[in-house]
Parts: sequence; C-alpha cells; structure tokens
Amino acid sequence: MSTGLLPEPDQPGRVVDAELHLLDRQVLDVDGEPVCTVDDLELGAVGDDPDIDRPLAGDTTVVVTALLSGPVLGGVVGGRPDSSRRHRIAWRYVTDIGTAVHLGAHGEQFSATWVERWLRERVFSRIPGGRHDPEADE
Amino acid sequence: MIAGDLIDVEVRDADGERLGYVVDLRLVLDRPPEAGAVLAGARLHGLVVSPRTRTSFLGYERTSVRAPWPIAQLLRRRHRGSFLVHWPDVASVPSLDATRRGKGAIVVLRRGFDRYDPALT
Repeated sequence: MSTGLLPEPDQPGRVVDAELHLLDRQVLDVDGEPVCTVDDLELGAVGDDPDIDRPLAGDTTVVVTALLSGPVLGGVVGGRPDSSRRHRIAWRYVTDIGTAVHLGAHGEQFSATWVERWLRERVFSRIPGGRHDPEADE
Repeated sequence: MIAGDLIDVEVRDADGERLGYVVDLRLVLDRPPEAGAVLAGARLHGLVVSPRTRTSFLGYERTSVRAPWPIAQLLRRRHRGSFLVHWPDVASVPSLDATRRGKGAIVVLRRGFDRYDPALT
C-alpha cells in the first residue's frame, strides 16, 4: 500500500484491530442475548493481577485481559473514571469475534447487565403480567 | 492500562519528533487459551500510527475496500503515511497521571524502530 514500509510478517494467529473489530461491537451471550457493547479493552502484562492498573511498554508482553463496558470514556472535563466503575467481562469468556462479540456464558453472570436485572426484578415483575413471556406461548 | 490510554495519543520518536497519532491497536490471537477458554489469548502486537489524524473511519487505509470510491480515496489520502510499529519498539506510554489529566499523554518509540505496512490481509 505504502512505499518505504516493511512488509508485515505472517502472524501465528488471527489478526484483529481493536478499534476496527472490537470497540463499539455488541456483546452477545451464549443464548444470543445482548449483554452490552465493548467500550474499551483492559490490557495487562502476562501473569499480572487484573486489579493492577499500570502503564506498560514494549519490554512487556501485553494481552487483552477483559472487555470493558460502562463509563470508561471519560467525562466532559477529561480524564477517565476509576477502574471500579467499569464492568469487566474477562477475555476467557469470548468465543468468537465477528459482527458481534460472542460469549460462552450467560449474560446474567456479568455485572454489565445489573440494570436490566434490577428493573426486571424490582419494577416489571410487579406489573400485572410482568412475569409472563408472551413469546413463550407462540 | 486500557486501550483508551493509547488510542488517539500522540506518538514521538526518541528525539522528540512528532510522528502522528495512535489510531488503533493491532492484536494477534496467538496466546495459549486460558483454562476453560475457547478463543486464544489476544496479544498486543503493535500500534497503528497515522501522521495526520487521530481518528480512523472504518479502517479504509488498512483494508482492500475501495467503495464508495470518493470516500475511499479521501480517507486513503488522509491516512497516507500510516504505519504499524511493533509493540517491542514502544519505549514508553503515557503515565496514568497524564491519562487522567488528558494532557501531556505521549507514546515514545525506541531509537531505530521499524515501520511496517499496516494493511490487514
């Protein structure tokens, strides 16, 4: 494509670009139900505790440890929110990357769905008919 | 560290000359899967650097997509000179303090770093 650039060697695994293939993609659980969207990726050194948040440079092998959802984009005044405010989905649950990111687990086990669960259990279940799934009868 | 700490950040060489901005992170799924995982681990392989702009729209400059022609031409022109730098050539990344402040965040590359073709095959 460009002159003066070295050709990229073949890689031993699938190549994906974070922004192009992961960020803003919808995350679907094992049943195909939406869980969240990928707002950011957590990066860590191999063997590091996931709770350690530190800058890493080229002398360290860095891997994606989790998909992040929630308020990770920073506020109007700049900066980024504290790590405790992010919803993490560990990379080990990811089974496929396509037009959506697929997980091999049920969405209810992730904190990213707590708002939906809270509304279902505390609000919709108290509305007459709120515990009934009309599509299940079809 | 999160991907957002690197994307959009200014890139400089070892002499402090501005090279562009990080527009994407190149990942390679070549790490052994964790216990119980299906997909391989995703290793940070490098940074895609664009000399003029902090944003990349649909990755036109990295793919073989040529349509719609005017948009493809415009975006390819805007991203000409983009390159991939391998992660081991990254000497330093912004401190968490610089990232939180949103100012002074800079990625510095090692002296003698190599520029690779960023095209996705």
